[in-house]
Amino acid sequence: MSNAPLQGGDAGLRPRDRLATLVICALVIAVAVAAIVTAQDFPATMLATDVGPARFPIVYAVALIVLCCILAIQTLRKPIDVSGDPPATSPSHGAVAIGMAAAVACLVAMTHVGFALATLPFVAGVMWLMGQRSPIWNPVLAVVITGLIHVTFSTALGVPLPVGSLFE
Amino acid sequence: MHEIDLLLNGARTLIDQPMALLLALIGVALGIVIGALPGLTATMGVAILLPFTFGMDPLSGLLMISGVFFGGIYGGSIPAILLKIPGTPAAAATAIDGYELTKQGKAGIALGTATLSSFLGGLLSVIVLIFMARILAGFALEFSASESFALAVFGLTIIASISGASPIKGLIAGFAGLLLATVGLDPMGGFPRFTAGYTELFTVPFIPVMIGLFAAAEAFKSMEEPEVRGALKTALGRIIPPWSAFRGVIVTILRSSGLGILIGIIPGAGADIAAYVAYNETKRFSKAPQNFGKGELSAVAACESGANGCTGGALLTMLTLGIPGDAVTAVMLGALTLQGLQPGPLLFQDHADLVFTLFAGMIFCYVAMLFMGFASLRFMGRILQMPKSVLTPVILALCIVGTYAINNSMFDIGIMLAAGVVGYFMQKWDFPASPVVLALIMGPMAEASLRRALSLSNGSYDFLYTRPITVVLLSAAALSLLVPLLRGLRKSGGGTAEPPLNATPGRGH
Repeated sequence: MSNAPLQGGDAGLRPRDRLATLVICALVIAVAVAAIVTAQDFPATMLATDVGPARFPIVYAVALIVLCCILAIQTLRKPIDVSGDPPATSPSHGAVAIGMAAAVACLVAMTHVGFALATLPFVAGVMWLMGQRSPIWNPVLAVVITGLIHVTFSTALGVPLPVGSLFE
Repeated sequence: MHEIDLLLNGARTLIDQPMALLLALIGVALGIVIGALPGLTATMGVAILLPFTFGMDPLSGLLMISGVFFGGIYGGSIPAILLKIPGTPAAAATAIDGYELTKQGKAGIALGTATLSSFLGGLLSVIVLIFMARILAGFALEFSASESFALAVFGLTIIASISGASPIKGLIAGFAGLLLATVGLDPMGGFPRFTAGYTELFTVPFIPVMIGLFAAAEAFKSMEEPEVRGALKTALGRIIPPWSAFRGVIVTILRSSGLGILIGIIPGAGADIAAYVAYNETKRFSKAPQNFGKGELSAVAACESGANGCTGGALLTMLTLGIPGDAVTAVMLGALTLQGLQPGPLLFQDHADLVFTLFAGMIFCYVAMLFMGFASLRFMGRILQMPKSVLTPVILALCIVGTYAINNSMFDIGIMLAAGVVGYFMQKWDFPASPVVLALIMGPMAEASLRRALSLSNGSYDFLYTRPITVVLLSAAALSLLVPLLRGLRKSGGGTAEPPLNATPGRGH
């Protein structure tokens, strides 16, 4: 489900859509400015005819700044829609945040305990997060999924999977 | 014709070698599986398989590798269409419209069209390889840095086509991708740019970013509405596309295959570039370009025939000149050498029997791919019937393993997850992800080629208008940008929008 406002025409913007777009523009501009500042320190190559390592990043960053300014101006010029009805069902941002955090935790755990031990609770946890809360089926499915992936990649295709620093 | 006689002889020789045929079948099946798994590309598949072919006779080994190559390019389309996970970089373009068709309950038709298009694109490319190899090989030699730069610029104009509803947001995504593409070692001086001291960032982490932006972002998005049963229309439906729909994409397949073959011939340009260029040209020729990005069958056909058309083109320069067209054929070049065969003009004279038996085997591989593809689609389609609560963790686990498999790097998984988070917010605010991926493919090529061309011309920009192919490609790039603009202006002058179609014929019919 996109939260983005309708494009084109004179469709109004919800206040939070306007704020989000402006925040994104500001963030991208900040990244672009940081890229320009960093690129200033790139040394020139030995070739006299070369434009140097900084030219392309600077050109792209300047273009980004210009485009973000245009988007910000377009956003500010659109009327604010105060009459918009709230959506019937609101997305569960909490579940998304937990899911993202679980993925990061899985990554951290994987460096220590390896693929299988990190993925098992992660898969079972995401299933729980997605509404499947069987104390029997979640662990069973997690073992089956993790096992299948392990067999496919590691055994069948010979692609090594993370072992974990504790078991190396 | 001399080639037909040689090919028929090759086919007869091939029939007498059941082991070579069996290994070709195994190669195709492996290729489809490898292509379908995120992170595992056709290049990786060929590289994994290479050591196993050392002990085989040249024909069996090369056919098995060819099978993995062809199957790998095609296999990427299956998860791209079903789950919006591009199995290979080339399938990122297929995912744009393919997944939209799945959401409309037309996954079967989309997969069937992708299979047929892949088969036809690949078959045409092998036919061109057989009959026009020596003529087209000269074309590859015309390509220097300036032409590669022009091709990259032409490719980058596609951003305008895949920007979705908001061109400005598409451009921002595209330029963000271009800026991201400058991360890593400077192509001329080797200076590390924006790497913060991480050696893992010395090359642009393209595949982790792609997997994150497409697959992980989609998985995070599905967590917004936790539910045990999926929201997708689960029926795979009809797989073989009806003639009425397929008729509308035949010209698209022929055009895209031709483009794929030409792009495949160009050293350094691969199936990913071919897929995007074919997508763009199909949209440009379409009578209803507004349907692209919303589930357009001809877009799927274009990407798949373009990507698979690339295979024969890439093999063409590798076999006739010893110049690999892409990363896969670079590995295959090594396989040929290990088998005691020296690619180049003399290969066709000294080993004509083997070469034409190999060509017959390649046709066999594509026919096998067609049947295996169709046979596996019903099974693959069961993915859609998997509850969303199981599918989402499976996707995330595959993203993690697939990303790790690229370089055996936990750092890459971190990049993939970061790209997934960014991709989630991009989706939420309608910033398209495809321009980022396209920019990551074309950006390094554009920069490296321009800077090399400048060095070769002593700093002069004359090559931009003195080299014919460069001029043609840059003109095509300008047209690619201007035509939609002029069309838009003409429409705003009183035209009416066309009704949405699912398979819009090209201008040719």
